[in-house]
Amino acid sequence: MAPSLFASVDIGSTYTKGALFALEAGVFHLMARSEIPTTVDNLADGFGRVRAELSAGRASAAGLPVYLSSSARGGLKIAALGLTADLTLSIARMAAYSAGGKVVRTYAYELSADEIADLESLHPDIILFTGGTDGGNSAVVLRNAELLGRSKTEAFILYAGNRKVRDQVLTLLAGKAAAIADNVMPEVGTIQIEPAREIIRRIFLERIVDGKGLSNVVREIGRDPWPTPLAVFELAGKIGATQPGWSDFGMIDMGGATTDFYSHTEAFTGGDSVLLRGLHEPLLKRTVEGDLGLRVSAAALWESERDFLTSRLASLGRPVEEFEAYIHSVSARPESRPENATEEDFDKLMAAACVRAAAIRHAGVLSKVYTSQGGFLVQRGKDLRRVTRLIGTGGYLSRIESAGPILEACAPESADVDSRPLLPVSPEAFADEGYLIPLLANLVGDFPLEAARTAVGGLRKLNGSAVSGKG
Amino acid sequence: MNPSHLVLGVIGADCHSVGNKILDAYFNEAGYHVTNLGVMVSQDEFIDAAVETDASAILVSSLYGHGEIDCEGLRAKCIERGLDRILLYVGGNLVVGKMPYKDVEKKFLDMGFNRVFGPQCDLAEVVKLLKADIAKLNLA
Repeated sequence: MAPSLFASVDIGSTYTKGALFALEAGVFHLMARSEIPTTVDNLADGFGRVRAELSAGRASAAGLPVYLSSSARGGLKIAALGLTADLTLSIARMAAYSAGGKVVRTYAYELSADEIADLESLHPDIILFTGGTDGGNSAVVLRNAELLGRSKTEAFILYAGNRKVRDQVLTLLAGKAAAIADNVMPEVGTIQIEPAREIIRRIFLERIVDGKGLSNVVREIGRDPWPTPLAVFELAGKIGATQPGWSDFGMIDMGGATTDFYSHTEAFTGGDSVLLRGLHEPLLKRTVEGDLGLRVSAAALWESERDFLTSRLASLGRPVEEFEAYIHSVSARPESRPENATEEDFDKLMAAACVRAAAIRHAGVLSKVYTSQGGFLVQRGKDLRRVTRLIGTGGYLSRIESAGPILEACAPESADVDSRPLLPVSPEAFADEGYLIPLLANLVGDFPLEAARTAVGGLRKLNGSAVSGKG
Repeated sequence: MNPSHLVLGVIGADCHSVGNKILDAYFNEAGYHVTNLGVMVSQDEFIDAAVETDASAILVSSLYGHGEIDCEGLRAKCIERGLDRILLYVGGNLVVGKMPYKDVEKKFLDMGFNRVFGPQCDLAEVVKLLKADIAKLNLA
């Protein structure tokens, strides 16, 4: 039997990328690739060209099944609204990231006039509105519903807060595009983000797909598109659930603007009198860092990670001024590539800073607490120490030659034993050879096992160790 | 505030968990919806939980003798965070040494707690007081 052919296309903000796969014996084989700059004014044009290239020389493009994802227009912009920062707001952020969204702003407690104005000017696609346990706080929640109802925002409002007042909330939001989902935190500490995630995906289809020619594409291929990071999130889940040796892994997707960190590992395993405080985080988690990136976010990276970068520059013997000039130059020209060895070193340094900071922010912390009954260990956040494998993806990390940049995500040899980040200890490192993960991710809905198997099968194992002389 | 919602926990670097489980079971049995935060709970964690659940009382336990330091400022913080009417109860071995109960009670009442209990208190009595105190809040 001839292998079945499938095309997968990802319409990004900068590039529209496609691949043609042949499915044979449970594995996808790459047959052709295509990549062109995204046709921003009409996404269908670029899509059509990529599809034509992929099906060139084949009998017919019409019968070829096409799977699509898109992060065009800068992805799915979500503003997260919660009651307290450490509980509902923190879970709202988690839900937004797991749905493949980009959190453009967060708000806690009652919205102020300034915050409403800010929200109106931000134009998020979705406002994820949470607050209160079921039967819990209603005063602040109803007040925020009233304020949102009166505001000029045109965003879709998804209410996933206190279930007891959802009818009143919907009434106050009359005239707005709005929907309800089950509470993201029905009880203090209980995380329930699946229902909200599912509705965010639906809103993505209704609101984001419309316009810029994407709706024509969808009609033509007869299949719903995914937000790119949601597809990757689902693929990461399938890899962890189905692939032998991959039950505990991390994946770093570093781009010009953001660094995404995915982890699939049990967040807390207790033992040895370790106490978990705060939320028990999910098995599969995604975080997105908008200030960590190699190009568009280079200046923000320099701002956020200045101490680390400065100390690494010193150990490399490079003047700070030279590096700063490079930061300015790549921020101004996001499409630029390094032109000499110095610039390559600088990119490597920035990559190290992005990976390291994204990992530290994703991971939890273990602290030693001294009590009258002796020393105790308190864990907050997610434990990544059992992560045995790390994947690097994105334009830069999919091409690296040595494990060094990825291993920046590992635990530093810290002298401070009273408090340390729960980072992977000595994982193996892999590069997403050919940057296929986002394209395989599109196939995960219909072919979960095959996509997961192909994704890990195609990885390139990296050797080498972390940079010496850590800052 | 919800008259049947309570937040419960052991404050500070205190990991005595047995009494906490007994209190959880007892107040549940008495008809309350208890959000039990367990042991080693910070002031902010108590307050976050009370805000989210719209609790009418926070019940703080302390058994290791450092209750005074751990509880200092809780009332002010509640007011800052919008919980201006919430009931604050505290109980346990609240201080080190043999201070008379009256003095301990005064110390914690002065800190802004509504009720103070020693280690030997009768839980039926506590529930009775709690019912009366919540009734006095005149929640609609």
